[in-house]
Amino acid sequence: MTPKQIEAFVDAAAAALDLRLQPDHRAGVLRYFALADEFAAIVEAVPLGLHDETAVHFSPVPPSELRE
Amino acid sequence: MTPAALLLQDAAAMAQAVRSGAVSAVALVQASLERIAATDARVNAFTDVVRERALRRARQVDASLASEHGVRTRELPLLGVPFAVKNLFDIAGLPTLAGSKIEREREPARSDATLVRRLESAGAVLVGALNMDEYAYGFTTENSHVGATHNPHDLDRIAGGSSGGSGAAVAAGQVPLALGSDTNGSIRVPASLNGVFGLKPTFGRLPRTGSYPFVSSLDHLGPFARTARDLALAYDAMQGPERLAPRDPGCAQRPVEAVVTSLSRGVQGLRIGVLGGWFRQRALPEALAAVDAVAVALGAVRTVELPMVEAGRAAAFLITNAEGAALHLDDLRRRPQDFEPLSRDRFLAGALLPAAWVARAQRVRRLYAQQVARVFERFDILLAAATPCAATPIGAEWIEFNGQRLPLRANMGVLTQPISCVGLPVCAVPVWGAHARLPIGVQVIGAPWREDLVLRVAAALESAGVVQAPVARLG
Repeated sequence: MTPKQIEAFVDAAAAALDLRLQPDHRAGVLRYFALADEFAAIVEAVPLGLHDETAVHFSPVPPSELRE
Repeated sequence: MTPAALLLQDAAAMAQAVRSGAVSAVALVQASLERIAATDARVNAFTDVVRERALRRARQVDASLASEHGVRTRELPLLGVPFAVKNLFDIAGLPTLAGSKIEREREPARSDATLVRRLESAGAVLVGALNMDEYAYGFTTENSHVGATHNPHDLDRIAGGSSGGSGAAVAAGQVPLALGSDTNGSIRVPASLNGVFGLKPTFGRLPRTGSYPFVSSLDHLGPFARTARDLALAYDAMQGPERLAPRDPGCAQRPVEAVVTSLSRGVQGLRIGVLGGWFRQRALPEALAAVDAVAVALGAVRTVELPMVEAGRAAAFLITNAEGAALHLDDLRRRPQDFEPLSRDRFLAGALLPAAWVARAQRVRRLYAQQVARVFERFDILLAAATPCAATPIGAEWIEFNGQRLPLRANMGVLTQPISCVGLPVCAVPVWGAHARLPIGVQVIGAPWREDLVLRVAAALESAGVVQAPVARLG
């Protein structure tokens, strides 16, 4: 993302989340978002197949667990 | 030996002294409270001291020893041993701060965290809560709300973080044992900079119930100590499945796999490699010298590179940034001014990351874990520095690798983050002599669920005099 794209995305996403960035926080937020964008590019560059699954797993909760 | 002198020994020796009647638990706990009072104005490791609770508990230990249950009490491995916990562990009657100002307004915890209860069931006595980076998002424990924790070996320098109070309290001889958490390096970094042993177990090994989360996908809990044996004693006491709900959904609920009994088996037959590439390029000379000293002592001559390490680190960053921020979104909306200034903007940015980045990061993480598993088909143990350098001055902003100037606070975890990303067990061992006057740690890394091996290697290095954790000379 270009600096202008980052600025536009940050402002739009912040508005969507009702996260009002204060003027003295904004420069830092843009800097850290740009850093995350660099890391995202590294992650995007890794080829993944359909069956490369997530590291996140879910454990179902049986009703008996609520009674313990 | 006086209780004050005994306090500077290891936890195993303290428990033995209480067991034999050479010292009472009350006297030992009193010695810990007195050392905290005498030194903490300089170190700033503690945010709360639970004096009355500790003395009450110590009296119970002494009374139990003298009672008809004395035979069973004497078997407890941490009998009368004072310990303290990072202030993200619940302590009944105290608000769980997690290093923040915001959480001071929350209700006090109703009960102790599971690991606090397990250590007390093993005979240990909680004496207080320890300083940390706010919400565990940092590597320096320069906490703006309560002040920085100072490195006991050089009070002008950082203690590392985010479990900085835990590392410093053990190095300062205030307690022989402390608990911390490690999401991207927060046990191993302060262990390195304070010159103590730290164990980050396999992801999912120890239950996190009753601790304040940072990034549930990556959070680990573990102990700090001044010997490998003390780490093993504490670790064994904390293992095992949770019998009752609520349980930690991230805990594998494995049965106890005790390690104390195998500590002295040595390193013969273990295939040990030294991590190259990323791990050498981001280390200053003292870090490289520390790894080399450990490698020579272990006879490790083969260098190995972790595949996908840069992608793994990037994935850990994105998951941490997004998940950590999402947890605090309501407060970030309502009261951003109450957050730690050093991490607030990072949290705010993390709240805005596209979901696709984070979902992909979790898939890359799994692929990276599979690649790392292949390396462990050829090696039992891998070695790498725990931090790129020894403790830096409080307030320092930058670090330089190979002519490249980088932000210090984010990069103190550059060598630990790719390891915790895939949940490997690590013992950070303290090396002296690699830096002119400060300690620096080396990560002894094992395959998942092989805490026994990383602690065996740590114990062997300690026996050989290659690593050690002396109490800082604070006077």
